[in-house]
Amino acid sequence: MNFFSIFKLTIPVLMGYIPLGMAFGLLLSNLMIPWYYAFFMSAFIFAGAGQFLLLALFATQATILEIAVATFLLNLRHTFYGLSLISTLKDFSWKKHYIIFGLTDETFALLKTAQIDDKDREKVYLTITALNQFYWILGSVLGAILGQALPFNYKGIEFSLTALFIVLSIELYKKSKLHKPFLIAVIIGFVGMVSFPGDKMLILSLGLCAMVLILFKKALNDTR
Amino acid sequence: MIQDNYIVAGIAIAAIMTYLTRIMPFLFFRKKEPNKTVKYIEYNMPVMIMVVLVFYALKDVTWEVYPYGMAEIISIMVTIFLHLRFQNALLSIFAATLTYMVLVQEVF
Repeated sequence: MNFFSIFKLTIPVLMGYIPLGMAFGLLLSNLMIPWYYAFFMSAFIFAGAGQFLLLALFATQATILEIAVATFLLNLRHTFYGLSLISTLKDFSWKKHYIIFGLTDETFALLKTAQIDDKDREKVYLTITALNQFYWILGSVLGAILGQALPFNYKGIEFSLTALFIVLSIELYKKSKLHKPFLIAVIIGFVGMVSFPGDKMLILSLGLCAMVLILFKKALNDTR
Repeated sequence: MIQDNYIVAGIAIAAIMTYLTRIMPFLFFRKKEPNKTVKYIEYNMPVMIMVVLVFYALKDVTWEVYPYGMAEIISIMVTIFLHLRFQNALLSIFAATLTYMVLVQEVF
């Protein structure tokens, strides 16, 4: 597979990452964070929803512990991706660590769906991951610079975070076989929003979700 | 203004935690298969986390005073409607954000 045909595979991600990265960059500059932090975040974290969440946590001056727990829980879904790649990546060289580092939702989707010959699988996987990260960095830095350079009223742009979470909730709900966890999370989330102290809302609600999930495993597994 | 060293520390910890979630299965399940409970949690937790994050993102809305979170409610309905109708994540996010920006800047 030559570079151009790999590039063609990544075009859908390009179309998604540039605008979404720009929204992230705009939001970042709206918080008065210098543009180069957009670069560092996209280079070292490389997680769409995770980076948006980090901005929300920065805005509320969350503690480092809260950042750690919230980021971990939000990105826990990536563990699921790794699980289904263990056997594929087993024969790769040390370079596989970059693929593991760059295992975003979109990269995973591409890796799992692309038709690739086994002999150049490693090269194709690496190129896909690197291209995707390049688009993401490009988009976020562009957005951050644009936000700093263009004095425009960006008030309300933070809703992109809420909308992103809503869209991902719908997508995940459609994919899951069980419906009760979704409903329980709506109830816990709502109760948490109106009654938990703001700075502990995320941790308390997520802890409660995990507890209900484990304690009522039998009842929840019983479909409908 | 947010402190520089706070941002750097935040980025560092977020980078470590994100990488951890991605490397974990390769560390723990190289030889043995994950058990049923682990699979069950990994399968069901993401949707719950996402839903809770929606409410988390809305926690600073003042529902009891004018405009009673109307901009948020309208924009949420726009997001859900567009996403169910067209299933295009970017379209839903951008149209909803634009709706919200117009509402908070021009209407309420």
